[in-house]
Amino acid sequence: MKKIIMLLCLVMAFSGCEKDDICVDETTPQLVIEFYDISNPAVLKNVVNLKVTGEGMTEALNTFNGVSKISLPLKTNEDVTKYHLLLNSNSSTASNEDVLEFNYTRQNVYVSRACGYKTVFELNTANGFDLTDATITDGLWIQDTNLQTNSIITEDEVHLKIYF
Amino acid sequence: MKYISKFTFSIVLVLLSFSGNAQEAKSATKDSVAPKTERYGLRVGVDLFKLTRSFYEKDYRGIELVGDYRLTRKHYLAVELGNENKTVDDDQVNFTTKGSYLKVGFDFNSYQNWLDMENIISVGLRYGVSSFSQRLNSYEIYNPNQYFGENPVVIAGDEYSGLSAQWIEVVAGMKAEVFNNVFVGFSFRLNRLVNQKLPSNFDNLYIPGFNRTYNGDFGVGFNYTVSYFIPIYKATVKAKAKAEKSKSKSKKK
Repeated sequence: MKKIIMLLCLVMAFSGCEKDDICVDETTPQLVIEFYDISNPAVLKNVVNLKVTGEGMTEALNTFNGVSKISLPLKTNEDVTKYHLLLNSNSSTASNEDVLEFNYTRQNVYVSRACGYKTVFELNTANGFDLTDATITDGLWIQDTNLQTNSIITEDEVHLKIYF
Repeated sequence: MKYISKFTFSIVLVLLSFSGNAQEAKSATKDSVAPKTERYGLRVGVDLFKLTRSFYEKDYRGIELVGDYRLTRKHYLAVELGNENKTVDDDQVNFTTKGSYLKVGFDFNSYQNWLDMENIISVGLRYGVSSFSQRLNSYEIYNPNQYFGENPVVIAGDEYSGLSAQWIEVVAGMKAEVFNNVFVGFSFRLNRLVNQKLPSNFDNLYIPGFNRTYNGDFGVGFNYTVSYFIPIYKATVKAKAKAEKSKSKSKKK
């Protein structure tokens, strides 16, 4: 009898620090882009000083160098996100800027007590993404693109392949 | 205050009587005193814990009525009936749960009373059912990358009604008679969900009667009751029961 009460007290004491107070689940996914060599489309190619800036943002998201895979967050309160991708950003002559525009619909999905909700995205079938040149018309450095999936649900897969 | 000190006193009395247990058996059974009778009846009461919480916690309203009926010397049929309205404000979600619940089961009194005392130290089981609704007031979107700034709180106001849950409770508790037919008691409960009807795109983070839910279907509960015993009939303690009692006593030695 006393043991049972002791056990219950113990359970009560530990119940306050369960792991559901900390968000450990996968939440709002980012859009994953992988870069490939245009002359050898099966081979990954690392980007050089790729400065990625969201439209209207003063600070860059990041300057990627020596990687072939990048992740871009999409806006969770608008149905469109625009990114300026500046290749060779530290060179004044070789730099080239292209603009990627993503159009999508959003859905908020329940995750857990600690995480609340996440947003998942579905790129529009008609104009899911749009590749244009920047204001300085220097031609596109992105030669080809290949959209893998319209559903941006998890970061475990590549959503867009870019060839250059 | 007066009740509380009486309650404390009777608990001390109950605990003290543990130590004095061994003396009673042999001489008592062989005496030819008048047969011992025990009272059987219905006990009804209210959970003071929920009642007082309703006053000091502005996001909580709740009431629980408790009752038990003595079936045998040791067994009680026990019922709890309640209604709760609770708003939970977590970091990521804010929601209101409203609903009623019913718990039915039994208590087993493992305490051997002195003379004609009627105190109870019990273990028991309950089966609980709850019918409720969840209202999601607001929520936040968890975004690990906050490049575009923090996410604003989304005001939702979605109502999910017609939800239900069923669970099993293991109860450990005690009741002590503080004065004529008035008992105070408390109990701890360990709950395990059997099944539940979940809202779509949300969760039952709180269930009336079950309390807060955790990842692994477990929950805990507590109540502090004041109840009144309505005697219905008296029954003589059978000699057989006494014989058994002394047998088990001698076994222990």
